[in-house]
Amino acid sequence: MNDQIVEFSNLLRRNGIRVSPSENMEALRALELVGVGDPHGFRTALRATLVKRFADMRLFEELFELFFLGFGKAVAESDRRLMAQLGLNPKEFQEWLEQVRSLLEHRKDHLSPIARALLAGDMGQVERLLREAAATEDGEAVERRVSVGVYSHRVAVAIQIDRVEQETADFLAWAESRGAAPEILERLARYLDERLKALSQLLRELAEQELRKSGQTPPGRERLEYLMQKSFSYYTAEDIRRMNEVVTQLARRFKNLLSLRRKKADRGRFDVKDTLRKNLQYGGVPFEIQLDRRKREKPQVIVLCDISDSVLNASRFMLQFVYSLQELYSKVRSFVFVSEVGEVTQLFEENEIQTAVEMALKGEVIDVYCHSNFGRAFDMFYREHFSAVTSKTTFLVIGDGRNNYNSPNDWVLKEIQQKAKQLIWLNPESRLTWGFGDSEMARYVPHCDFVEECRNIEQLYKVIDRIAA
Amino acid sequence: MFRSIDDVIRRLGEQKYICNKNVATVVYLACAMQKPVLVEGPAGVGKTELGKVLANSLGLELIRLQCYEGLDEGKALYEWEYAKQLLYTQILKDKVGEILQGSQSLKQAVDRIAKEDDVFFSEKFLLPRPLLRALVAEKSTVLLVDEVDKSDTEFEAFLLEVLSDFQISVPEIGTLRAKHLPLVILTSNNSREMSDALKRRCLHLYLDFPEPQREMEIIKLKVPGVGEKLVEEVAYLLQRLRKLDLKKKPSISETLDWVKALTLLNMKRLDDQLVQETLSTLMKYEGDIRKAEEELKRYLADRKTKLHAAAVESDKDLLH
Ligand SMILES: Nc1ncnc2c1ncn2[C@@H]1O[C@H](COP(=O)(O)OP(=O)(O)O)[C@@H](O)[C@H]1O
Ligand SMILES: [Mg+2]
Repeated sequence: MNDQIVEFSNLLRRNGIRVSPSENMEALRALELVGVGDPHGFRTALRATLVKRFADMRLFEELFELFFLGFGKAVAESDRRLMAQLGLNPKEFQEWLEQVRSLLEHRKDHLSPIARALLAGDMGQVERLLREAAATEDGEAVERRVSVGVYSHRVAVAIQIDRVEQETADFLAWAESRGAAPEILERLARYLDERLKALSQLLRELAEQELRKSGQTPPGRERLEYLMQKSFSYYTAEDIRRMNEVVTQLARRFKNLLSLRRKKADRGRFDVKDTLRKNLQYGGVPFEIQLDRRKREKPQVIVLCDISDSVLNASRFMLQFVYSLQELYSKVRSFVFVSEVGEVTQLFEENEIQTAVEMALKGEVIDVYCHSNFGRAFDMFYREHFSAVTSKTTFLVIGDGRNNYNSPNDWVLKEIQQKAKQLIWLNPESRLTWGFGDSEMARYVPHCDFVEECRNIEQLYKVIDRIAA
Repeated sequence: MFRSIDDVIRRLGEQKYICNKNVATVVYLACAMQKPVLVEGPAGVGKTELGKVLANSLGLELIRLQCYEGLDEGKALYEWEYAKQLLYTQILKDKVGEILQGSQSLKQAVDRIAKEDDVFFSEKFLLPRPLLRALVAEKSTVLLVDEVDKSDTEFEAFLLEVLSDFQISVPEIGTLRAKHLPLVILTSNNSREMSDALKRRCLHLYLDFPEPQREMEIIKLKVPGVGEKLVEEVAYLLQRLRKLDLKKKPSISETLDWVKALTLLNMKRLDDQLVQETLSTLMKYEGDIRKAEEELKRYLADRKTKLHAAAVESDKDLLH
């Protein structure tokens, strides 16, 4: 048991779930307490001691099934499908299996071990044979990081799947030659067909399991990592939906980092003047002490996000980020612009994320069918919302700075920088192209405390760390 | 303490808390292993309630520390009871005078007073806040650290220290060590990820929205006199609603509010009109309500075409 748990923890680690040695020990202790006779308790005990992040729970369930339950689930599913197809209840199905087995008995000399086990529905034996075949393949294939398809194909070759198919066909022909009734034959044909399907499904399952055991990332994760580096501008709608989780994490991280920066909680200092004043009523005896409690500073954020066509995908993503930020934080105000500026704070508050972002992009608050005009947007922001900027404000501009040769109005940024705590500009365009054509970045950059290229999530992560450092 | 996992289910049940085997197992382990539990999950699924009923069912005192942004050690651990200290110096004025008798200089006077420091900085003048109370209690307690995700990261670090050593040092007094380990329940709505270090200290429990069976039990328990048919319909409709893409999914507490409203209106089964009018007890966002109304229409249509039974089956499947 001990070894098995240690090995299982290793499997979790290889798949990116952090398990510490002390947690490992605790898992063992917990298992002693629930006892091995309780499968449900067994699973719960491992979950409670080894998996501490919600995001990892699903993966834990998958790995648990893979490690402790083997093919059990796939086999059960295949049997259920068979019963439905043949229109049999479990008892009748069992009887049918008996019939098939007795037929197989007559043909045992013409069937390879795996075909016999498969057709008899002896799936445990099938699993053992498959794993044996895989064991001989194993090392090399895994080393070279082959795909599930390639791996399962190799094992299929190793067990001579062609032969299994041939033998199955022969078996059916033989049954026919023996004069079986047409309806029995038809049922048998369906039965055999489903068994062959189950075999190829098991092969895939096996491949997935083996590859994953060796620590190759499951497909879902791989995709996330890939998305981390993919430029926003190439995002598909599907990508954007998938990013939800990551975006929320990012926003949380941002919030945490900002709050970390705040001074460590200060219990306040003795305030002589206030104390004396307050205690005049007690004849100057200081009954109530006055501490000079400095106000805790709540960081405030104002976001100004470009949603013009040139950066549409990036803004869709960044708006998701802004939305999550706003959800975590009471003091965020969000604005979007193409040429005129509109506030979306309330729109974000009242709608769920996808809808809210789409509404913002589709021109719910501003005209989006016009050309980018940063200068005009800045000027308008200055006239209508400048009073929202305070000395505690972190001001975030998101956009490519492409101004269609309009007047840049960079003085607004200067004003904002002077009044705000910090002014940050994130640009979804490659730094190499800044300042060329109608890009006004060269004029805007000097007024920012911090400017960064931000074309994918990985960069955004780094940016967030830098901002808060 | 609990004798077994089933014992947990039974005794929490006596406190009108319906828990599944999952929850019971973690609670059982936490008690037996004397480890804190970090309970995470959406709002209103019974995290706080779990801490409360746990104390009741074990007959232990419940000490609750509600976290919020800006909560600091003073509020969580102890403060000096300044007014009381002062009162004593006033009452003991003469005594103080005696001590100071014959001091040659201000410095000498201060030194003499300083010698008596520990009279005033003793446990007598210590105002214990929840954490300290749980540590020095004469009997074991249940310490409920509620909504720990709302606290700042610095406070989390401090909390971790306390939970690791179960002792704290008060500079003026010395080290105070827990006489009995409290049973600690931390709850979090997941508004931020807690640190790995804290999580390693704890067992983890994810509380999710309840399965339909459990939700029905809870409703019947908490809304006496509610009709059987209505409970069933409500529970299944909620399963469907929670699958929608909502800004905020309705929780158990909102379900209960809603059923109470429906019962007051003397509803026996869900029907279009009244349900629409009461949906605002279940959801608070305009957009969510709109989606819920559409889903309700579909649900009623399904019910008409007798798809109901089938839907129930598939719901069950999805949950297991
Ligand atoms: N398992 C349960 N059994 C009985 N009542 C429950 C259960 N879970 C939740 N409730 C009810 O829901 C309400 C909200 O639960 P609460 O603990 O405040 O949620 P949370 O702390 O998770 O936000 C409780 O007052 C309680 O009445
Ligand atoms: Mg709560």
